[in-house]
Amino acid sequence: MAGASIRESGGPSASPDPTMSVAVLKSKQNRDGGWPYVRGASWTEPTVYAVMALLAADEEQAAQRGLDWLRRRQLPDGGWPPQTGFDESNWVTALVALLPPERLGAKVHQGAIHWLMTTTGEESTAVFRLRCWLLGVSPSRPEPVAWPWVRGTAAWVVPTSLAVLALDKEDARRPSQAIRARIAEGRRFLMERMCLSGGWNHGSVRVYGVEGLPYPETTGVALAAIRGVRSPQTDRSIATAQRFLAECRSADALNWLRLGLLAHGQLPAGFTPPALAFRTLIETSMDMLVAETQQGREVLWGNRS
Amino acid sequence: MTGKLTRRELLAGSAGLMAASCGNQTRPIVPSRVSIVKAPAYDQSVYDTVRRLVTEHVGDVRGKRILLKPNLVEFEPGSCINTNPILVHAAYEAFHGLGAAQVTIAEGPGHRRNTLDLADAAGYFRTVPGFEDKFVDLNLDEVTRVRPEQQFSRIKKLYLPNHVLGADLLVSMPKMKTHHWAGATLSMKNLFGTVPSGIYGWPKNVLHWAGIDESIADLHAAYPRQFAIVDGIVGMEGNGPIQGTPKHAGVLVAGTDPAAVDATCCRIMKIDPFQIQYLRLASGRPGTHITERNVEQIGETILSVATPFELIPQFQRMRLES
Repeated sequence: MAGASIRESGGPSASPDPTMSVAVLKSKQNRDGGWPYVRGASWTEPTVYAVMALLAADEEQAAQRGLDWLRRRQLPDGGWPPQTGFDESNWVTALVALLPPERLGAKVHQGAIHWLMTTTGEESTAVFRLRCWLLGVSPSRPEPVAWPWVRGTAAWVVPTSLAVLALDKEDARRPSQAIRARIAEGRRFLMERMCLSGGWNHGSVRVYGVEGLPYPETTGVALAAIRGVRSPQTDRSIATAQRFLAECRSADALNWLRLGLLAHGQLPAGFTPPALAFRTLIETSMDMLVAETQQGREVLWGNRS
Repeated sequence: MTGKLTRRELLAGSAGLMAASCGNQTRPIVPSRVSIVKAPAYDQSVYDTVRRLVTEHVGDVRGKRILLKPNLVEFEPGSCINTNPILVHAAYEAFHGLGAAQVTIAEGPGHRRNTLDLADAAGYFRTVPGFEDKFVDLNLDEVTRVRPEQQFSRIKKLYLPNHVLGADLLVSMPKMKTHHWAGATLSMKNLFGTVPSGIYGWPKNVLHWAGIDESIADLHAAYPRQFAIVDGIVGMEGNGPIQGTPKHAGVLVAGTDPAAVDATCCRIMKIDPFQIQYLRLASGRPGTHITERNVEQIGETILSVATPFELIPQFQRMRLES
């Protein structure tokens, strides 16, 4: 059934032999070229991560079939739907924009960047701001312009983090003031949505005066997105991530925690993750990407050197 | 047994009632049956209780595809946030033992992406043998666009998981909790977990923008075959559904009309069900009752198990006066 462990079907546990992870990814590729989360129909998110991992491992043929699947799924607005059964672009577009344009195709890639640049949380739209003004409930300072999971809804931590990562990579390739402005706003959003004790949850700092508590996986992805941002708040979140690293029992969360800490050069030397079950193919792919990042290949962020 | 609509229920469901009365027929109200059973602890007796509830309310399940939908929210082992796995296992065993063709446990948490890790932390792997083979992550299921018979919310396109749409019976198994936005989260609010985050995100913010209460009413309308078992053995009061405090109510509440089950739970929690907007919206539908006189109570009386759940200051107006 969907959601079953890939470990039971021959998948590895963290952190496995890379050759074994490549074999798992290749064996789980669907006939249409995409990948499922566990099994079943292909989805955009696991396909992007599998392609990134296989490109990093120089597994050309399987990666190429994945890229072909992605190209066929692009919608006329430049974005991607999460799966074939849904007909609107959403947050997964940021993931596709992380792929190398020379492999995805320059025009296809530009469509993804265009979609990201024209997408905002509903709270930042002119119509919503006008409505707040008319109702007399405008915030003292405008909400940062960030990214939603789906258009027509508010901005949240994970889609904003992924969009910032994609645009930062794009800016490293083709510097653009407009892109840098969106990155700055996205990071302002992340800093404002940081939990008081450090780290991030889905994006609620407090509800009815009660402080929201951070999650390991969202803390990792947000830390990756604020790479290079130095502040006492960042330091607090790094400390939170390091604390999670010692306690965490989720392979997904451990992958993102390691990437987030690597982004700031703060992954403890010699850290070895505990042997946890990989429950989705994303965990297999991400573990490979962590290993590549540890070896100095900047797969998630742009190389400005 | 017949009952009467109250003026409030009539107002809440006027549109539906007008449509129903187009044929100039007056039909008697058939009350909804709701069981209240004392269950002091999560122990072996829960298995017998749940089997009895299924037999009383659902009847013949032979050959049916059953989908059990617990409420999994947060990584807090030993807390009162998530539906206790013993209750879910008891339901699994009951349906399986009564001859169901397939019993699936399924959930799509609203905040946390790693659903199986969450289920593991909540004790499901330890309690339900072979849990992973019985479980479907609804956030990552394949979807179909649906158009509810009656739409209350502003949602433009509602996509729902195929495993839920394909089930012969959806069994909603929530925790009895207060909720800082909706007032109370019970079997109807639990249906939020059937909305796929793989499509809409974590959280399922599209439902908030479309109207929380209205979206709950939409989901209630989207699933015509439901059975609810509410875990009120230890519930949550105060700032629920996550940051509240445990509240021992020592009951299970069950029935095939989720609105009637939820209204009964509200009365047990000393919350006025007419102050819960999604219950008012749903109560206009045929076979859906929240007025006490239109609910046939089986087992314990409300009075014998009622215990006031602490409410946040914003919801004091919801308090049910004796």
